[in-house]
Amino acid sequence: MDQLPNLGREQEMLDSMGLKSIDDLFSDIPEDVRRIDPLPLRGPQSEEEIWADAQHLLGANIDLDSRPSFLSAGLARNFVPTMVPMLATRGEFLTSYTPYQPEVSQGMLQAMWEFQTMVSELVGLPVSNVSMYDASTAAAEAITTAVRVKGRKATQKGVVYVSQFVPPHRLSVIENYTQGVGIELRTLEHNSDGMVNLEAASAAAGACAVYVEQPNAFGELDEGITQIKEIIGENTALIVGVDAVSLGIVEAPGNYGADIVVGEGQPFGIGPTAGGPIYGLFACKKDYLRLMPGRIVGKTLDEDGNDAFTLTLSTREQHIRRHRATSNICSNETLIALMGAMHMALLGPEGLEKLALRVAATTEVTKQAISGIPGVELVDPKTPNFREFAVKLPGNAADAVAHMDAAGVLGGFPMGEWWDSMSSYLLIGCDERTTQSDIDALVSALMAWVEEVSA
Amino acid sequence: MSEIFDFNGAKGSGWSQPEPMKEDAINTIPSSLRRSTLPRWPRASEPELVRHYTWLSQRNFGIDTGFYPLGSCTMKHNPRINERIVQLPGIDRIHPLQPEHQIQGLLSIFYEMQEMLEICAGMDQVTLQPVAGAQGEFTAIRCIQEYHRQNGDIQRDKVIVPDSAHGTNPASAAMCGYEIVEIPSGEDGRLDLDALRAAVGEDTAAMMITNPSTLGIFEPDIAEAAEIVHTAGGQMYYDGANFNAILGKTDPGRMGFDAVHYNLHKTFSQPHGGGGPGSGPIGVKFHLADFLPSPIADREEAEDGGATGDGYRYFWRTPPNSIGKVQQWHGNSGAVVRAWAYYRRYGRELELMSEHAVLNANYLRHQIMNPNREHQNSIHSMPVDGAPTEVVKHEFTLSMMPLKETTGVTGKDIAKRLLDYGYMSPTLYFPMIVPECLMIEPTETESREVLDKFAEDFLTILSEDPEVIQTAPHTTDVRRVDEVLAARTLVLRKEFED
Repeated sequence: MDQLPNLGREQEMLDSMGLKSIDDLFSDIPEDVRRIDPLPLRGPQSEEEIWADAQHLLGANIDLDSRPSFLSAGLARNFVPTMVPMLATRGEFLTSYTPYQPEVSQGMLQAMWEFQTMVSELVGLPVSNVSMYDASTAAAEAITTAVRVKGRKATQKGVVYVSQFVPPHRLSVIENYTQGVGIELRTLEHNSDGMVNLEAASAAAGACAVYVEQPNAFGELDEGITQIKEIIGENTALIVGVDAVSLGIVEAPGNYGADIVVGEGQPFGIGPTAGGPIYGLFACKKDYLRLMPGRIVGKTLDEDGNDAFTLTLSTREQHIRRHRATSNICSNETLIALMGAMHMALLGPEGLEKLALRVAATTEVTKQAISGIPGVELVDPKTPNFREFAVKLPGNAADAVAHMDAAGVLGGFPMGEWWDSMSSYLLIGCDERTTQSDIDALVSALMAWVEEVSA
Repeated sequence: MSEIFDFNGAKGSGWSQPEPMKEDAINTIPSSLRRSTLPRWPRASEPELVRHYTWLSQRNFGIDTGFYPLGSCTMKHNPRINERIVQLPGIDRIHPLQPEHQIQGLLSIFYEMQEMLEICAGMDQVTLQPVAGAQGEFTAIRCIQEYHRQNGDIQRDKVIVPDSAHGTNPASAAMCGYEIVEIPSGEDGRLDLDALRAAVGEDTAAMMITNPSTLGIFEPDIAEAAEIVHTAGGQMYYDGANFNAILGKTDPGRMGFDAVHYNLHKTFSQPHGGGGPGSGPIGVKFHLADFLPSPIADREEAEDGGATGDGYRYFWRTPPNSIGKVQQWHGNSGAVVRAWAYYRRYGRELELMSEHAVLNANYLRHQIMNPNREHQNSIHSMPVDGAPTEVVKHEFTLSMMPLKETTGVTGKDIAKRLLDYGYMSPTLYFPMIVPECLMIEPTETESREVLDKFAEDFLTILSEDPEVIQTAPHTTDVRRVDEVLAARTLVLRKEFED
């Protein structure tokens, strides 16, 4: 009866209803669709047995903390303050539903309103929702939002320019979200040094939106991105995807004209957790408010005139507007956003700056160390990087990763998995936890492989 | 009331960090790109924040706080072993792009879950990638869209939904570019086959429907409905929100569906977390399997016994005509692992869960509706039941319309008054076809005593002074919240004075 309080009392409950058996409760299922045989599944387990199997199976995985790791590609091998999971998994938060009854949900509502404020401050835009699924759906829905807002005045109807260097797994999500609703994606070209081609950007004036990432898929920061808004003008939305941690030292996109900012919230609040649950950041200018996706918390008053919080602008949402809703999103990632809020609050402004500086420092030290290996070249030697940088190897990067793996180093991400033309490119990701001995291990493992292929 | 921004101590951080590896790291950022002013985040110490968030948690109602009969949401108990497991480094500290041999345990759990979900729903292939029920709907409709395109059926531009459908159904189909055809329910709240026959045609891409319906009643004509849609060349999509009612008793495959989504956060106990995370895997029949998002977990026999010792090597596989990705990685793996732990507790006895969910729903309905109880006077003023049926499945609806007509007390008033009694309100005003609707889903994890007490309190409320009900809640952290003011003033963040 551990999970079922009424196990063993079924008959007395049935009797009180004048029913004979459990089967009576399912008599409304027509016989031709009824399942007669038991489910062909394994037998039940006790909590102890489940724990043992979980330890065995998950213990067969090699976790990122167990060896030098330089795999990032959009997720951060972060350190989450101990307080965060302890407080966020308090049952009152963990086991609550969407706060549709504000009178008994002030805790989560206030935490999300505070989250909105911190995200808004981080990216430099006035409005934030309480999270999207991840960076990719945040980017995709930013694009559909921009088309709704800018569609009428746009001279290039339904056209959105997307940076050439958006990682394909994110671009694929964007394509799925835009393909059926009259949006045409065009590629915004980059120059040979990895920076956005600003002349090409001028062709986007009059389109509905431009989507760029800062840093791009190679971890490169691009000063030109700060000029794009001026080039494309008021009638075209600038959407910027960010590395949230970088904003401790890199300018907030809202301050250089971004209309919508999206990004992965994961570095704040939760480990990489095999890719989910994580959460997407979504913030925008006020003109986008009524056509944006996701839940929003507003501050108001209760009947007695006391401050209170509630979900607001719900008329955009699917449960009210149905097929005319701005999005189908219902469940979001609130609990993970709560973890993010706790992490951000613990950091405070100075802690954020320091965190960003730690990542910048390890990126730079690793980059210098790697560029000293003969035969290994930085892809774009002159560009500044944050968290990640790409190098060109004297051979196949997937082979290099496999070779380093055998030496106990997770050496990065082979970019040929994203773009066929880049099979010799290795994307090396650093983070605040990267140590000098990690870097030494990477250098010697990579050097050993280079020597082998060069021999 | 205190807000987090009231903490504004000296410069510094509430969290200790090592110093940067290199002193002048700021110089790696070109001066034109440097941030000029830091975000105005709070400056607070750990003890202050622990107290702040503890206080906030105490102002929030979860299943752990009390009975949560929120219809359509399946607010069942969340076993704590699941939370302990996802703290293991073998899930928390895993990157989805790690080489396959480093994540054999994760892949084996994915494979086991795909297989289990396929069996439970009578489907041929499952993907765990969609991260919410609505995203599952979207993903399945995308696969159906590609299927029709491959068959040259590009004229199929309409998706049919009953008027009692969850709002996500039409919203998801619309995001794929489909026009929505809404068909009215019959007078008994059930699917109207004549209306369906009139709606289908060469332009039908799919029908989306949940069964049991949002009224908590099983659609007896579901197989015939599937035949009508299939004959017209359309596909049948099963919204799995109400799967908790039928697991092990029937399945969407038998009913004639081609695609289905599961809500791991409903049926398989992933906590709802104040609105998410969810997890919305989908299962499809063979003819749709090639279109599923990439990747799917697969396996082959391993001569060395495999890393987990079960004789298999696991790997990621991309379906040949894959639509690509709907989430950047492999879905909400943490939710999949929690659901796996939940499944392992039941194994082949999963149907016990549905039996008890349905037993509890019928029992509670009986306790509220039974006219022989001592609250007979209240019963006479009772609303008519929104679901005219002998037995319901895992949830049921009550219409408060008669009560409103006689006393002016609305469904919303009752919902707010229930908060004073220490209950979460039932789902309010959904489905829209039931006037003044309360939708109640007790789940299998509530005891008979809780159900008895809730029924008793519910009936007590009906005989209370209408004024007391209409001004409820009286004992909550805040009184009735002014939502109109919120939408008018739009105070969506803290405004700082400087």
